[in-house]
Amino acid sequence: MDANGSYHAAPYSTNPQPSAQSTMLYACLDCGHHNSIKPREPIRCFECGYRILLKVRTKRMTQFEAR
Amino acid sequence: MEVAAVAQPSGFRTLERQAKAVNPGQKHEYPHVQGLTEPHIQSFNSIWERAGPRTPALIDVAMSLVDKQTMFDHKGDGDKHLGNKIVFWMDTLRLEHPSLSARETKSTNRLMYPSECRQRGISYRGRLTGMLHYQVNDNPVVSEERVLGQLPVMVRSNRCTLQNMGPAELIRHHEEAEEMGGYFVINGNERVIRLLVATRRNHVLGLQRPSYGNRGPGFTPYAAQIRCVRRDQTSQTMTMHYLTTGRLVLRFALRKQEYLVPVSLLMRALVGASDREIFEAIVGGDAENIFVRDRVELLLRAAKEYAVFTQDQALAYLGDKFRVVMYAPEDATNIEIGRILLRRMVMVHLDTDRDKFNMMAHMVRKLYAVVSGECQEDNPDTQQLQEVYMPGHLYLAIIKEKVEDYLLGVRAEINKDVRAEKVDLYNTRYLARVFSRVVSDIGIRLQYFMATGNLVSKSGLDMQQVSGYTVVAEKLNYLRFISHFRCIHRGAFFTELKTTGVRKLLPEGWGFMCPVHTPDGSPCGLLNHLAHKCRLTTIVEETAAVDAALVRLGVHPGLPTPAQRDPHLLTVQLDGRIVGYCSQSVAARIADALRMLKLDGTRSKKQSAIPFSMEIGFVPRSHGGQLPGLYLFTTPARFIRPVTHLATRLVDHVGSFEQVYMDIACLDADVRPGVTTHQEVLPTHILSAVANFTPFCDFNQSPRNMYQCQMGKQTMGTPMHTYAYRTDNKLYRLQTGQTPICRPRIYDDYGVDGYPNGANAVVAVISYTGYDMEDAMILNKSAHERGFGYGTIYKTEYIDLGKHRKPGDPVTLHFGLGPDSIGDESIMDNIDIDGLPLPGARVEEGSPLYAAIDDVRGRTKVHKYKGEPGYVDGVRLLAGGIDDELQAIAVTFRIPRSPIIGDKFSSRHGQKGVCSQKFPATDMPFTETGMQPDVIINPHAFPSRMTIGMFVESIAAKAGALHGVCQDATPFQFDETNTAADYFGEQLRAAGYNYHGNEPMYSGVTGQEMRADIYIGVVYYQRLRHMVSDKYQVRTTGAVNPLTLQPVKGRKRGGGIRLGEMERDALIAHGAAYFLQDRLMNCSDYSLAYVCRTCGSILAPIAVPATSHVVDLDRSASSGLSTMSALSPAETSAVMAAAGSSVHVGRGPLDLSCRLCRSADDITMVALPFVFRYLATELMSMNMKVKLDVK
Repeated sequence: MDANGSYHAAPYSTNPQPSAQSTMLYACLDCGHHNSIKPREPIRCFECGYRILLKVRTKRMTQFEAR
Repeated sequence: MEVAAVAQPSGFRTLERQAKAVNPGQKHEYPHVQGLTEPHIQSFNSIWERAGPRTPALIDVAMSLVDKQTMFDHKGDGDKHLGNKIVFWMDTLRLEHPSLSARETKSTNRLMYPSECRQRGISYRGRLTGMLHYQVNDNPVVSEERVLGQLPVMVRSNRCTLQNMGPAELIRHHEEAEEMGGYFVINGNERVIRLLVATRRNHVLGLQRPSYGNRGPGFTPYAAQIRCVRRDQTSQTMTMHYLTTGRLVLRFALRKQEYLVPVSLLMRALVGASDREIFEAIVGGDAENIFVRDRVELLLRAAKEYAVFTQDQALAYLGDKFRVVMYAPEDATNIEIGRILLRRMVMVHLDTDRDKFNMMAHMVRKLYAVVSGECQEDNPDTQQLQEVYMPGHLYLAIIKEKVEDYLLGVRAEINKDVRAEKVDLYNTRYLARVFSRVVSDIGIRLQYFMATGNLVSKSGLDMQQVSGYTVVAEKLNYLRFISHFRCIHRGAFFTELKTTGVRKLLPEGWGFMCPVHTPDGSPCGLLNHLAHKCRLTTIVEETAAVDAALVRLGVHPGLPTPAQRDPHLLTVQLDGRIVGYCSQSVAARIADALRMLKLDGTRSKKQSAIPFSMEIGFVPRSHGGQLPGLYLFTTPARFIRPVTHLATRLVDHVGSFEQVYMDIACLDADVRPGVTTHQEVLPTHILSAVANFTPFCDFNQSPRNMYQCQMGKQTMGTPMHTYAYRTDNKLYRLQTGQTPICRPRIYDDYGVDGYPNGANAVVAVISYTGYDMEDAMILNKSAHERGFGYGTIYKTEYIDLGKHRKPGDPVTLHFGLGPDSIGDESIMDNIDIDGLPLPGARVEEGSPLYAAIDDVRGRTKVHKYKGEPGYVDGVRLLAGGIDDELQAIAVTFRIPRSPIIGDKFSSRHGQKGVCSQKFPATDMPFTETGMQPDVIINPHAFPSRMTIGMFVESIAAKAGALHGVCQDATPFQFDETNTAADYFGEQLRAAGYNYHGNEPMYSGVTGQEMRADIYIGVVYYQRLRHMVSDKYQVRTTGAVNPLTLQPVKGRKRGGGIRLGEMERDALIAHGAAYFLQDRLMNCSDYSLAYVCRTCGSILAPIAVPATSHVVDLDRSASSGLSTMSALSPAETSAVMAAAGSSVHVGRGPLDLSCRLCRSADDITMVALPFVFRYLATELMSMNMKVKLDVK
């Protein structure tokens, strides 16, 4: 364990598999198409095959103390 | 909305520019910007495509000059003992546009664009292929295409996918609308090949250097040098040394090894000249010159010792000596090898041996002229005798050398097999194997060159340095970026030179090198910038018509002979080839005629037979000046610049060689009828682009303009419009940039309005409150709140989980949140379920940044953010291989940087200052109209610095603001009768303001009117990138050096700032003893040490072994030998020995004992710097004792 990271919670025996619901939407940087990509899928835009995808901005409320 | 008619030639053109921004067209708005990178792009283009109908692509020329390799398998016998022959060579190198690999099947567009490479951190490269040919004996030639790797491609060159795009298309491909290219994208960074100064090609230089005299016995300081450039733009420098014996030797380097060859031998080998022929060629018409005649006689007599009388003998002599180093075919005769040597190494810019002979004779003649003082030695530091190593030419030279290396590598492999008798030239499988055994990846070599700037070369490429060829084109702001393409370096060799002659600003550079734009400090004068109108020729011109014209105009072909008995005949040379000779009057006439001929071409709009960029250097006869002659140059890589030809009113291009002998007036007043032939187009053409952006720079003291050139490049401005598509390590952005009210006309040419570098500030020059002392400036808090100087830094961090994974290993780290951390709110606030940070999330030191699941450990590892507080601006998912899952991301952070106390600002006149206070608006002084200054600076900033330009800018911009116009700040517009102060003063008066720019002001604190009127106006202020947030350093305790226990240095490690000797001296002088003690001792390596007063040692006192033992020993000593003792007798003696067998063990006050005195009585404790103990130990290791005299 190094300085910039730490392990959390108790270890478990089997490999952690991200749940199927964790399919995410990423925007293609070239054509703008929103791709839903599952974990461990290759990063390619389904529309144009572009190789950079952008994480879309959160829909969650983000509010910072404005002082 | 109605646009008022603008009286000024230069305007803000806000609406026009906005319309263009909304609706970009297909044509570039600012062609001048494209011109900035012209030398880079055109020289790169000339490698791959023919520049004219009769000038083939340089790559093909280069390949035609690479020698075919000939080898034998030594399997024969008798007559043909060499056996079978194989000849192999390579040609037809082709570079493809950067495109995706064939395995990338999903993509709709197969082409790659630079933007993708920048963001993915990869290189922008295209596939290089070449044809490999080989022929065994007389069998048919076998050809196969070989892939030579991925070669970095220059952006916007003819191999770039962006080549002919206009603004609209460029924007579609995520580039700047006015993207000018000229750089390479290497591992995501933009790198430029630097322009380097070279000696003018194909022109003989007479040199006198003391170092030449020290080369060996017989050498004198005199030499003639010529840098010959082949048709493929690679060069070979030859130096002809003058020896005390009267002999001449020619020195040249072959694979970094120097060779000296007698000149007489070479002249004989070239054309088989007899002694008489050599004599006549050198002496020329100057038959009465005893000096030259005597030297030639010596030269010829000295040649006798080689017993070489005919051409064949001379060639054979040379061939014999050079057979091994030339890698010549084994069946070649010495004569043939001699010819190869002459072709490859001697006067390589010329094709025929007769031309080479003539040029050699001229070189000898010039050397003699320098020795005898008939002409002056040349100064290689003048721009007159300089040209440029063009980026494209250098690039080509490396490609060529790597192809040669490949062929030589194959040669070495075959040689190895020949010796092992494993060679089989008739076996195609063997040949295929041997050709693929040698690495043919040339792309990776060029990639290395571009990434590091290091030149790895066997031949040295006739260059003087091995590193520093490429630099990162930092996009700090617009000025910084464009100046990378205009900067020209003298060469790394000169940076260490003690003499400062090379740094001098010489008149020969007028109009070519900017006299203002050079850094101060160590690179001063070595790192120059091209004047903004200075161009570099890039095209290999067709010169047959020039030859014909010369003969038509009266040049006699060949060399003058002694029989003519006319010492005044001038040599006529075209690109270092002797065309003939003529008298001075004829030469003058020819020079004029040629100029008219070449101008004719521009007038009739059709291609003239005489190249327009040709230099017509007519050097008239003088008393001990430059060697007279008519020197014509049409070659690439020369400096040329536009000036007006007065007779025709056409724009002519003049070069740096001819300019010295031309009469070019600057202003109308300088024109002398009958003498002046040319005039500057504009006086500002002598300045570089960046120097030209300084308003009213003609009013400033010159060094202030230099400072502005530097500070303009350090400004936090607007480097680009494509922030959304950039992943640079660090990007600065000025949020509230304005275009200056007061700016030179050239702003419009270079589109600087689109890239604002600061803001117009109301500046009062007043000494107010004392917070503006010593170049500090007071900022109006309300101005700050309105957004003055508000900036942002974008930092991008690449996170690659596969960084430590070896190729082929399975992927064990995946981005994502495992079940062990899902639901943890402190993590989920910042990290999404995919393990990536949420765009928009606020991060500060220690916030969770991303999470990765480790298959091996079966846990989720959450990585934390390091650095100052900011926001996640964007997260890019970067693709790896075709089927690979996500392994690399780029996270961009946005760090707000509003101006704070300690940030640096500057006007455009080299007047920098640090913000010392943000004053509330209520306390700021105000004028009668109620205006408050945004910035207050101290009047003391002016008297010694004499930046009058800033005063002029202040009233000019003030008047401009009042009238709502854009003010022209182009230098050299005003004079003594028509002053700037009056021009703008009247404008101020017309607006109802004081003519001088002064206004009565009232104290913001008391409301009282001030005794003096205050100079207040509008000045454009830049915010420099030096910010306290990046520099502050504070520590009380922290990391220490483990050896000395002193605080470490370095801001990053939380170290301290050194209180050095001079600081110490000052404190001693002040008698600040307590403070000194605190700094140097208490806050540094304070330590307590035991010292033995008897022997004075701090190392001798040692602790008595474990207390329990001591107690035992004591007890045993007092009660005699006790059976209760915990120690055996052996152990007891061991302990006693360790303690120095002292009877006083444990009796001292400190449980210590001195090993030297065997006593514990006199041990006491003192405070010492810890390093002192280290010093004492080190001295002890050298058998020296440190004795402290403790009272």
